[in-house]
Amino acid sequence: MGKEILLLLQILFPVAAGCLLFVLNRKGNRKIMITYTVAVLVAETLLVCSNAVMQETVVECFYITPAHPMLFCNDGLSGLFSVLVSVVWLLVGIYSVQYLKETRKPIMFYGFYLISLGVLQGLSLAGNLVTFYLFYEWMTLMTVPLVFYNRTKEAGRAARKYLFYSVAGASLSLAGMFLLAGNTEGLLFTGSALNSDANRTTVLLAALLLVLGFGTKAGMFPMHGWLPTAHPVAPAPASAVLSGIITKAGVLGIVRSLYYVIGMDYLKGTYVQIVFLTLSLITVFMGSMLAYKEKILKKRLAYSTVSQVSYVLFGLALFTPAGFAAALLHVVFHSVIKNGLFLFAGTVIHQTGEERVEGLKGMGKDMPVTFWCFTFASLALVGIPPLSGFVSKWYLAKGALEASVGAFSYIGPAVLLVSALLTAGYLLSITADGFFPGKNFTVATPEPREAQVSMLIPCVIFAVTTVGLGVFASPLYTFVTNLAAGLLR
Amino acid sequence: MVSELTFAADGFRVVYAALAALLWCMTLLFSKQYFARKRHLVRYFVFYFATFGAVLGVFFAADLLTLFLFFEIMSFTSYVWVAQEETDAALKASKTYLAVAVIGGLSMLMGLFMLDHAFGTLTISELRSSAEDFLAGEGGNFGNRKNYLYIAASMLTIGFGAKAGVFPLHIWLPKAHPAAPAPASALLSGMLTKCGVFGMLLVNCHLLFADGTWGNVILVLGTITMVLGAVSAVFSVDLKRTLACSSVSQIGFITLGIGMVSVMGGHGIALQGTVYHMVNHSVLKLVLFMAAGVIYVNTHSLDLNKIRGYGRKHTFLATAFALGGLGLAGIPGCNGYISKTLLHESLVEHMHHLEQQGMHSEIGMYKTIEVLFLLAGGLTLAYMLKLFIAIFVEKGEEQSSAGKRSMTLLSGIAVLGSAVLIPLLGLTPNHIFAKIGNVAEEFFCPPEVLSGEAHAIHWLSFENLKGALISVIIGVVVYVFVVRGVLMKHENGKRIYVNRIPAWVDLEDSVFKPVLMNGLVFVLAFFCRICDTLVDGVAALLRATVFAPRKRKMSIWVGTKLTHMFGTAMDGIVSVLNRSLFRNHPIEKSFVSVFAVSELEARQTFSLIIGSVSFGLLLAAMGLAISLIYLLF
Repeated sequence: MGKEILLLLQILFPVAAGCLLFVLNRKGNRKIMITYTVAVLVAETLLVCSNAVMQETVVECFYITPAHPMLFCNDGLSGLFSVLVSVVWLLVGIYSVQYLKETRKPIMFYGFYLISLGVLQGLSLAGNLVTFYLFYEWMTLMTVPLVFYNRTKEAGRAARKYLFYSVAGASLSLAGMFLLAGNTEGLLFTGSALNSDANRTTVLLAALLLVLGFGTKAGMFPMHGWLPTAHPVAPAPASAVLSGIITKAGVLGIVRSLYYVIGMDYLKGTYVQIVFLTLSLITVFMGSMLAYKEKILKKRLAYSTVSQVSYVLFGLALFTPAGFAAALLHVVFHSVIKNGLFLFAGTVIHQTGEERVEGLKGMGKDMPVTFWCFTFASLALVGIPPLSGFVSKWYLAKGALEASVGAFSYIGPAVLLVSALLTAGYLLSITADGFFPGKNFTVATPEPREAQVSMLIPCVIFAVTTVGLGVFASPLYTFVTNLAAGLLR
Repeated sequence: MVSELTFAADGFRVVYAALAALLWCMTLLFSKQYFARKRHLVRYFVFYFATFGAVLGVFFAADLLTLFLFFEIMSFTSYVWVAQEETDAALKASKTYLAVAVIGGLSMLMGLFMLDHAFGTLTISELRSSAEDFLAGEGGNFGNRKNYLYIAASMLTIGFGAKAGVFPLHIWLPKAHPAAPAPASALLSGMLTKCGVFGMLLVNCHLLFADGTWGNVILVLGTITMVLGAVSAVFSVDLKRTLACSSVSQIGFITLGIGMVSVMGGHGIALQGTVYHMVNHSVLKLVLFMAAGVIYVNTHSLDLNKIRGYGRKHTFLATAFALGGLGLAGIPGCNGYISKTLLHESLVEHMHHLEQQGMHSEIGMYKTIEVLFLLAGGLTLAYMLKLFIAIFVEKGEEQSSAGKRSMTLLSGIAVLGSAVLIPLLGLTPNHIFAKIGNVAEEFFCPPEVLSGEAHAIHWLSFENLKGALISVIIGVVVYVFVVRGVLMKHENGKRIYVNRIPAWVDLEDSVFKPVLMNGLVFVLAFFCRICDTLVDGVAALLRATVFAPRKRKMSIWVGTKLTHMFGTAMDGIVSVLNRSLFRNHPIEKSFVSVFAVSELEARQTFSLIIGSVSFGLLLAAMGLAISLIYLLF
């Protein structure tokens, strides 16, 4: 019994803590609020980690419909996601303390920040597609306030766009679920939950709808429009988790529905696969190209996310265990890298108010630690060995070449590499200008502008993790290949 | 990482690692003088040693992935060398360097993907057998297996060739070498380019062993690089730029040799020539770039017209520079003679071989290459003569540092110590070089696959001296007529060196940037932008049309709809008229209310009329009249 309660607590504890924050701290005492938030985050991280190593447990709460209970289960995939989410949440939370110091009403951030952590835990632990959908919608609703935090007119517009896109995407996937529901046994995540007499046309249509629907959150063309709008206006910690984690919720949706409900063998060689592959490759290229052309730092990073999350989707679209494993690797790596990059952007904005890329010239001399973190994260995103991005790219390309997807086997890796070239173009140029502004460049403010320690530490941890995960990639790789192997059972 | 890093330390790798250690050691000795009173030294030395480690990693790597890892590290750490001075030229050069490095690296990665997919292993010692097995195999999604291998090899060669400086990716060399500090230039030219060459040799000897078609492609690329570099070196008026162009040219010689190895089916002579020239070029460029560094430290300039005559009284420097020049030009007695003779010999022997087999049609090409080879050798002498005479023979402006010692003790040891190697290697070809040749053969073309042993060469036979002699004659002729004639002009009674090559002859600025950066990127970005705004555009279109927010109903405060409409229309016309025709006497009444009032009046009048007796009588009369007319007709 204790195990089940621990599992539920993983979801309910942050939600309750967030609600409690709204109720108890109406006056908005900043110090108490911050201490409370960080304490909750630490406790939650510990709880999640202990749950992740716990043996597999299934919790049935109540029945939404007679066939579909609210079901939670901590399998390997949910362990991976929930640990990733909680660790990122903790680090970004620590970072946000300093970042939000001068803003009004931080309770609107911290409260929803905690609640959305709980919702994301629910998303990771969901044991069937209905439960997943429930938390998926709540995730959207709970993160809108984070986008809207600055309360400018633009923020309002961006939050509305985010909401519209998300709801449209979720509706598409809901339609897919409706189609799927009749053909499966309770939409369970068993690896292939389809009935033996499932209607092929319906299932394929459902799969397409699910891809497009969940793809919206993952920023897949053509529904990627919310990312470049929402990121620049949201405060940096919010953009960091939006880009690093929330987009991955879409990925998780695709994984859960296509890999765990329908089954990868069912979709191999179908038109769904071709559409999925094409869309993901278009997105990979388009995102990089637009990032390369973009002049506003956070928008550039947003386009970069569009491109990079589609690396993951490309891996998933191969419908092979190797592609699946590579995609999951890239989920983790990109999450870490992109959080690091957005925290970098936040630090720059916080310390200097500079939002455009040209303004970063010569800043490397003032804030060396921040820029070094950025450099490592950038190199990792480009995929320079031995950093983490290289490892996932290697397995993605390997997976693509080994998969029997015709010309996509070669187009895929080529597009990934061209995109990597563009990535180098839009990220390394920042580093180069930051450290080498030229002889004629005079520093506007001679005093060092390095950020406070509480902002630096998360950045450094993310940077070190990108390197560490790349050099010591084999434990994680073994873990995801085992997951993939488990799916084939 | 994706697999374990593996290392091996067999003959040839050790030789080159030792040479790398020598280069780093010598440049370190020289650095004390060069970097006195310079800034950002910690940064420089951190990356100096990091690159050393990476270079050793490249040579000791036992599989291609490990090699790639260290190759990339090397590219990025050496980037800092190029940008070190932080001048505009240095920053521009560093961007070019970085771009070429990244493009090369990614291309190489694609090659590795393909090889790993095809072979399942990237271990260097197993490449040759894996390639044979692969070609013999069937099935899989490889298409034509031979072409697949060619594509993979090309991808790898683009990556390695970019670092080596083979045409058309040589663009970074003439920019980066002059911009970097002199010790770094020596390493860039002497060792980093050799990492690329090493990789190209691996592709040629291990992956596509003795493939004639492939060899010819490399051979042609090498020839173009060789001639192009030599010509631009003759025209250059900047000391380090000349040396950099000379590096391009010498890399061309080496690439030509690599091509010959494949063309001749793995022949000892071509391989020895290639490897010897690699070693020679490393040593020669070490000496020459350090000498250039000495000159720069003392004069703060690299322009031939400004440093002219600097070295007249500096005998040691002159000796070292002269040895470097002689070695580069391949004068007997110096090391360059040995390698160039072997390379020439391989061409001659191959032609001889073709003649024996009666394949006369193919000889023409090799004949042309031989002529170009001798020409490039002559140009080498010409540009080295140009440098030497300008700096050490001609009288120039009086230097402010005249009489001062040009080198400190440490730099003297570094420069002269390296220069001693030039005659040493040149005079003992059968001792030092032979050993290097043996280990190289063992590594690249082991006896079981070698098509021909390198036979003993009579270094002083007329046959071999003839090649050098022809080159010397060409060199002297070019120097006297072209360099002293065309490339100098009189100004203020003095003859000065001028660069006759217009600025637009720059492959990067005139071809790569406009075509790739502006053209291609613009077109692609345009399409991406369309994709980007697709959904937003559809949403905007829908909002403007189908889902347009309905116009709010205006409550009409006077009159009816009709009068309001006409009134608004009239008001609009009036406002236009007021602004144009009636500017002086604008009409100020509102027609909306005017119409409304008249409508009200009309309605009231009408109701009065309808209610009156006379209206009733009128209607009755009209009725009577109509019935009367009906009856009548």
